[in-house]
Amino acid sequence: MSDEIVQIETPFQFNEENKREFDELIGRYPVKEAAMLPTLHLAQRQEGYITPAVMKYVAELLELSVMKVKDVVTFYPMFFEEPVGKYVIRICHTLPCALRDCKVVLEHLKAKLGTDVASETNLAKGTTDDGKFTLMKVECLASCDVAPVIMVNDDLYKNLTPEKVDELLEQLPN
Amino acid sequence: MAFIKLNDLEIEVEDGTNIVEAARQHGIEVPHYCYHPGLSRPANCRMCLIDLYLRSSEMPERQLATGCTTTVRSAPPERKLDGKYDVIVRTDSPRVIKAREDILEFLLVHHPLDCAVCDQAGECDLQDFSYRHGHDKSRYLEVKNVPPKKDLGPDILLYSTRCIVCTRCIRFCDEVSGSGELGLINRGSHDEIDIPRSHEGVPIQLLDNKLAGNVVDICPVGALISKDFLFKSRPWFMKKQNSICSGCSVGCNITVEYKEDGLYRIKPRFHEDINQHWMCDDGRLGYHYVNSDDRLQLPLKRVDGELATTQWSDALSLITERISEVEAEEIVVIGSAQGTNEDNYVLQQFAHDVLKTTQLGLFGQQPGEEHKFPQFTIEADKNPNTAGARTVLGSANGNTVLEGDALWEKVADAKVVYLISGVPERSLESTEKEALEKVNFLIVQDILHSEVAELADVVLPGTTFAEKDGTFTNSTGWVQRIRKTIDPPGEAQADWEITQQLAKQLGGEIDYHFAGEIAIAISENVQGYDDATHQNIGDAGVKLD
Repeated sequence: MSDEIVQIETPFQFNEENKREFDELIGRYPVKEAAMLPTLHLAQRQEGYITPAVMKYVAELLELSVMKVKDVVTFYPMFFEEPVGKYVIRICHTLPCALRDCKVVLEHLKAKLGTDVASETNLAKGTTDDGKFTLMKVECLASCDVAPVIMVNDDLYKNLTPEKVDELLEQLPN
Repeated sequence: MAFIKLNDLEIEVEDGTNIVEAARQHGIEVPHYCYHPGLSRPANCRMCLIDLYLRSSEMPERQLATGCTTTVRSAPPERKLDGKYDVIVRTDSPRVIKAREDILEFLLVHHPLDCAVCDQAGECDLQDFSYRHGHDKSRYLEVKNVPPKKDLGPDILLYSTRCIVCTRCIRFCDEVSGSGELGLINRGSHDEIDIPRSHEGVPIQLLDNKLAGNVVDICPVGALISKDFLFKSRPWFMKKQNSICSGCSVGCNITVEYKEDGLYRIKPRFHEDINQHWMCDDGRLGYHYVNSDDRLQLPLKRVDGELATTQWSDALSLITERISEVEAEEIVVIGSAQGTNEDNYVLQQFAHDVLKTTQLGLFGQQPGEEHKFPQFTIEADKNPNTAGARTVLGSANGNTVLEGDALWEKVADAKVVYLISGVPERSLESTEKEALEKVNFLIVQDILHSEVAELADVVLPGTTFAEKDGTFTNSTGWVQRIRKTIDPPGEAQADWEITQQLAKQLGGEIDYHFAGEIAIAISENVQGYDDATHQNIGDAGVKLD
């Protein structure tokens, strides 16, 4: 047995804005545990990804064991446990998008960004060297009527073609 | 009481009993994995499915329900089925049998079937239920998941491949130990039990609480494994003996598993009022001193300042000689809180009838820490029999039992001290050491080359809880039996036997043949112990009033 245990050198905590938002949202739930998902989203927005320090902090906030937080973080693919790009591009590859040539969009994105597609266990594979983009495939984004679609961070982009993708990428601030 | 029809049996069970337990009470097996009587019931393994009749046993309306969450209650007359039953279930209908087979096939989808090298083989529910209720073949042709083997904590390994994700271990850590170290990572068929780790796999928290060993017991398969027992023995090569843990004053009921060469494993045994299904790791893993090479096997006597082995006859006559040189009131006799009631009874008889001294003391392990868990407590008193030893030693007329500083003051003034220790590991405090060093002739009866034995003029080899019969009285007044499991090492003897031999040498008339006989004497002479004969105590124990 190795005695090695994660030592948290700089503890995570919410900045003032997020603390305010947390205080507001915790009141909406009957039990603290129920606020797990929005709390993790807040933390991920602040830190970029879920570190052991974040898990410990969230566990303390919600009065749970660290394992309960880890459990949720590993359950959902929307939480990252390793660094991702500034812009996370999620491309839908389910049936309607596939019929509407999402493959062309995906290949275009891969060529344009010069990166592969991330897998759930290896996000670095889909992250550009400059750390600006992470490209990943997702299941249905619930917008089949405007397929093919991608999400860049929290925003949805519809009816995509390679040209529209070029336009979109150019207007994203650095 | 509820009146239920279970298969073709008509039985009465208490309200609130579930079908798994009701069936078990009548010798019918309902296979189950996630259900454990000491934990909450998520009904996630689906193994205990039974056929629940909704209208009557004659009508086809029925459903497959999980037996563990189907509890029975007596129904009002208009809702009785067939006019008299509260519940009608079948555990043997073709539908149930088919459901079990299919669920077992699912549970075995990712299982490596590595029984040949698995520690659990022979006591594995997956093996047993597959044999009794399963298919003989699998239709799964795809690649199996192979999650890694994991180190969870100081004593626990997880062979993830064998895990069927029943979550008993998680619920144990949440509900009984309250420490919540375990959980599930990932999703669906990739679910794995784990402790919290960083993304790189470095633990954030280890499975390191004092009840952690219980997760190995409740694991129905070979996934959670104790490092202490790993690869040491096949379960069927060991014999079992019911006994009581000697680690603290809780008095957990245990099963000692052993072979000729010593103890191999200790597991908790159910007792509703004392330890439920559980025991702590201090007791579970604390048996190694019994097998130790450091055990005293022959009497020792001090020759030219060093302790050297000697014969029993020699040691006994030396003691007799030195005792007869001193006055009765210059002798202090000290019993042990690690010893049985029988040991201490014979000792007080020896002190009172033979030595005629009234100076009796009690020795034992130093107090440790109390650990409280939501459903379990480890006592601070690290002796199994403080309550019993105190009562029994003090039972002879007018004896007060000295403890602590009062005892050591008396010891410092004494010429001869006969001290029974039997404490596995105990350091002496300076006052204790100084007092014992002042004694002219110190007789120590112990099990190991301990610090107190090092000070003695004569050391007599006694026995541990695993090598003698007797009774312990726990902190809540339960008198319970320990049983001789293995032979003592070398020429070591039960403590009461040694005391009795000493008494005989000194012309006393103490003559017991076995511990049960002493227990009868205790029941006759010690107040409150009227019912505490070995016959009455059995495996369930006797609660003192």
